[in-house]
Amino acid sequence: MRQTPNFSGWRAILLHRNDSNTERLTRQLRLLGFSVEASFAPLGAGNLPDLVLVDADQGWDELLPWSGAENAACPVVALLGSEAPSRIAWAMNVGAGAIIAKPLAASAVYPALVMAIAIHEERKAGRERVEQFEERIRMRPLVHGAVKSLMASRNLSEEDAYAVLRSNAMRRRLPLESMAASFLAGTESLPEVG
Amino acid sequence: MRKTFKIGILYSTTGPYAAIGRECRDGAQFAIEQCARVLPGLVEPVFVDPQGNMNDYVEGARAMLRDVGCRHIIGTITSAARKEIIPVVEKHDGLLWYTCPYEGFEANANVIYTGACPNQHLVPMFDYLLPRFGKRPYLVGANYVWGWEMNRLARELINAASGEVLGERCLPFEETVVDRLIADIERTHPSFVLNNLIGPSSYAFLAAMRDLGERNPAFKPEHCPVVSCDLSECELDDLGPQGGIGQLAAACYFDSLATDDNRAFKLVFAEKFGPERRISNFFAGAFASVKLCIEAIHSAGTDEPLAVRHQLYSMTSATVLGPIHIDSATHHAALPFHLGRINDARGFDIIASLPAVNADPYLTGQRNNRRPQLRVVS
Repeated sequence: MRQTPNFSGWRAILLHRNDSNTERLTRQLRLLGFSVEASFAPLGAGNLPDLVLVDADQGWDELLPWSGAENAACPVVALLGSEAPSRIAWAMNVGAGAIIAKPLAASAVYPALVMAIAIHEERKAGRERVEQFEERIRMRPLVHGAVKSLMASRNLSEEDAYAVLRSNAMRRRLPLESMAASFLAGTESLPEVG
Repeated sequence: MRKTFKIGILYSTTGPYAAIGRECRDGAQFAIEQCARVLPGLVEPVFVDPQGNMNDYVEGARAMLRDVGCRHIIGTITSAARKEIIPVVEKHDGLLWYTCPYEGFEANANVIYTGACPNQHLVPMFDYLLPRFGKRPYLVGANYVWGWEMNRLARELINAASGEVLGERCLPFEETVVDRLIADIERTHPSFVLNNLIGPSSYAFLAAMRDLGERNPAFKPEHCPVVSCDLSECELDDLGPQGGIGQLAAACYFDSLATDDNRAFKLVFAEKFGPERRISNFFAGAFASVKLCIEAIHSAGTDEPLAVRHQLYSMTSATVLGPIHIDSATHHAALPFHLGRINDARGFDIIASLPAVNADPYLTGQRNNRRPQLRVVS
């Protein structure tokens, strides 16, 4: 880890009824630099904190304004005493990136936060990459069209036509698909040699 | 008749940490003897020596808390031993007093930390070293959390200063063959070497660095010092003749501290331990912690941990380290910083100091707070 995680000025919401676990948890969160709000009521979508810690033993579906791990709008840590698969599944479904077991050990808090936040970032980055790939797949027919057009207009083999398109895209630092779209729209004329 | 409170003293006096363990145990015992002069019969020590065996730490702590009736334990040197006994201390709602410098990243409500964490040793030490020796260190550590985390932090500090780590090596626990390591240091020629080795490993390394300096003057301590955050007076005898002279160490206390309190303390110390023995920060830290513990129990009128904790938050105790206060949020002591250079009289010359620095065990203030300026003595 190159940089020591720093939570100074972060806002955490603790969705759990007050007990000795939340008392200990709040102490640890505060000394790590968090401001902590505790409530055991549904979280509004307009009131998103930097981190949610949620009771996975008693939590119900409307407690968080999202469903499905991929939709988690911020890092989530589950507080869990139960070993029932349904509760583990619930924690995963709200996007928990780490679990803190109850009764809570103070030493479990910091590692869980660091891990949940890293996993949230990793998922976000993964999701963005998938979106980029999806966009490119959607535009793939344009590449095919551009190659066909180049083959016909310049009497090139399919391989050479593709090479021309590709080297132009690289030179302009554009995705191949965007290059093809510009070419087909007639806004870019491609030089002969790649 | 007033009740006598029992205080557990849990240190290993054999194994790689033997020298440090004896020093801590002696410091704790000496504090109990000294306090008994003023408050006779208030506390009584209960000693357990786990001899470096992890299970015996846990069993010892459990017996103290459950069978003997201790509510307070002074003890453990390593983070591994501390982490082992914390669940036992929590379960019996006791209070553990941890008095050694460590790598930070902990703040348990059932522990009082009077040893320095990195913002009290490593960070100010680098503030001193980087402008004077350069930003290209070599990192050496024991294959253990102390070595790993101190090296990671050092790397972070060096990156933040746009420097470069020239090499990093971790040695197995009691490894004393350091030839390859020395060869690599000679080849890379770093600005300085951060030494996070422990016990015999560290002694062998310091002896080999002395030989290297004699062979190649570019590696003498004045050009390429070896710096440590846990080397103290109690281990200097193990470094061999002329071993370690000129090398640097950070600590919250040195025997040579020129304060009236320390001069007075050394006179009382010499009566029991003789005029030759030097006092290390491990001895002084354990002494100060036990004194603080007894004073808090006395003021609170009970050894009940919650009452003692609240007493601690509101008091400042005069100790040989200087006035000590425990922060209610982190449970750590604010501690002074001193940088010492090993001299030829089995002690350290203090070359730079900082007044008490608040502990920041999770380094949350690191990037925002400006650090105070070092006072350089020589």
